[in-house]
Amino acid sequence: MSRLEAAGLRKRFGGLHAVDGIDVTVEPGELVGLFGPNGAGKTTLFNLIAGAYYPDAGTIRFGGDDVTRFPAFRRARLGIARTFQLVRPFRALSIMENLLAVVASEGTPSRTPERDALQLLGDVGLADRAHDPAGSLTLGMLKRFEVARALMLQPRLLLLDEPLAGLTDGESAMMLRLIESVKARAAVVMVEHNVRLALPLCDRAVVMEQGKVIAQGTPAQIRSDPAVIHAYLGDTPEGA
Amino acid sequence: MAAAAVAAALPFTGVSVYVGTLVYYVAYYLALGQAWNMMSGLTGYVSFAHGALAGIGAYAAVMAINRGSPIALALVAGVAATAFASLVIGVTSLRLRGTAFTFATLFFQELLLLGVRKLPAAGGAAGTTLQEILPTSLPHVLMVLTAAAATIAFALVRRSRTGVRLLAIKGDEDAAAAVGIDATRLKIVVFCASAALCGLAGGIHALFVASLHPESVFSVDTSIVALAVPLIGGVETALGPVVGAILYVGLREILQIAAPSLHLVIVGLLILLVTLFLRDGIVGAARRLLRRRRTYRAALETAR
Repeated sequence: MSRLEAAGLRKRFGGLHAVDGIDVTVEPGELVGLFGPNGAGKTTLFNLIAGAYYPDAGTIRFGGDDVTRFPAFRRARLGIARTFQLVRPFRALSIMENLLAVVASEGTPSRTPERDALQLLGDVGLADRAHDPAGSLTLGMLKRFEVARALMLQPRLLLLDEPLAGLTDGESAMMLRLIESVKARAAVVMVEHNVRLALPLCDRAVVMEQGKVIAQGTPAQIRSDPAVIHAYLGDTPEGA
Repeated sequence: MAAAAVAAALPFTGVSVYVGTLVYYVAYYLALGQAWNMMSGLTGYVSFAHGALAGIGAYAAVMAINRGSPIALALVAGVAATAFASLVIGVTSLRLRGTAFTFATLFFQELLLLGVRKLPAAGGAAGTTLQEILPTSLPHVLMVLTAAAATIAFALVRRSRTGVRLLAIKGDEDAAAAVGIDATRLKIVVFCASAALCGLAGGIHALFVASLHPESVFSVDTSIVALAVPLIGGVETALGPVVGAILYVGLREILQIAAPSLHLVIVGLLILLVTLFLRDGIVGAARRLLRRRRTYRAALETAR
């Protein structure tokens, strides 16, 4: 059974078809990259899967259950975790408190949330900042912190919204290693603009344009797909 | 804790009635302020109805006692009536984000005044009077205990994971939902708890004042005091409303002699100044100052 099965998803904002009939599946243990030019509808698709808003049409199944009409908090408790394109820590709280605010999954609430939180902060290299206010961290740290906060949910599906955006080369390398290691815990869907760095990590890539899927396949297939090249580079002269 | 014990014992020590009354009012406004702090201080959803909620507790308690109910039961009736009212406001307006709740509380405050004035069972526009004569030491002790318990309860909630989740809702409700927090339910629950506390304080206050007039019980003034106390002292802290309540009662005493008609105007100015220049109130500002001094000293030490 697929971890995630979205079928026929549509979402309109006014006259704009942000997501225009999309089918996506994610298998357990898979890392799926979601690529496409600005405005392709990637973040809208993320928000539909996470439950930030509901689709106009289509269904979302998670582990076989229909979650299409579940509010965001219920999906989070079921194991759909996410990070945000622009980091959204609770700035008034400490890093530790940010992690303790998380309501763990409905089935297996942890008995040792403090220890879990410290463990996760260690995994993302922030153990020594546990008691600092979230507002005092650098962007690179906050990006890794958000992954730790999402993992507090013990998710079965992790949605990463542009995890590399705004990071230095060193920070990007750290984040890529973190994403690799996260794969062992949850299926991952990642939206990323930096195709060069992100694509090699993916088991499968989905390319969107104007609310539609224009290509999917292995990284190698995607690199040579004419529709993808067209979407990214525009018209190329015949025979060029 | 010791301060609360001393304050509770005051009526039995032969201290002047005047001082006793001042301490009583500090306790009353502290209880309301702490209730406001729990809801509005932690979630950021501003209530203008905390005075009116206390009014419901007061009316319910007086009406129950006048119908022959024992005092304890009458106070329970006040708490129940207030919690029910808050549920009605909460369920209708806390599903929405932003200012809907604040407007709902303002309308509720006005609606209640209009309703009670027309309600014969509550004495209508003339108000109602407690038919039993009670020693003022009873409400005094009860109110001081309530205020102390409210302060301790706030400190416990603030430190709990529930407190952290409430602050998360205040910080970013979308992100809160994304980490599994059921913001709507949590807001309604904490508003009910906060209102129940108001109902208890209001019921006790009815024993103290003994006569209730809708115009004064449901005037917006008490609601403004309930939010002024934590705002001046410092929201999100247990100590803030304590400082705020003492300061407010002291200030009101001075202003009633110096400028009787201006006292709410001056309180308003004070809130404005505190929110503009201290943001997190007197307690928050004092803590920041202490922290800065400590880091400064530590820096001096390392420099040596």
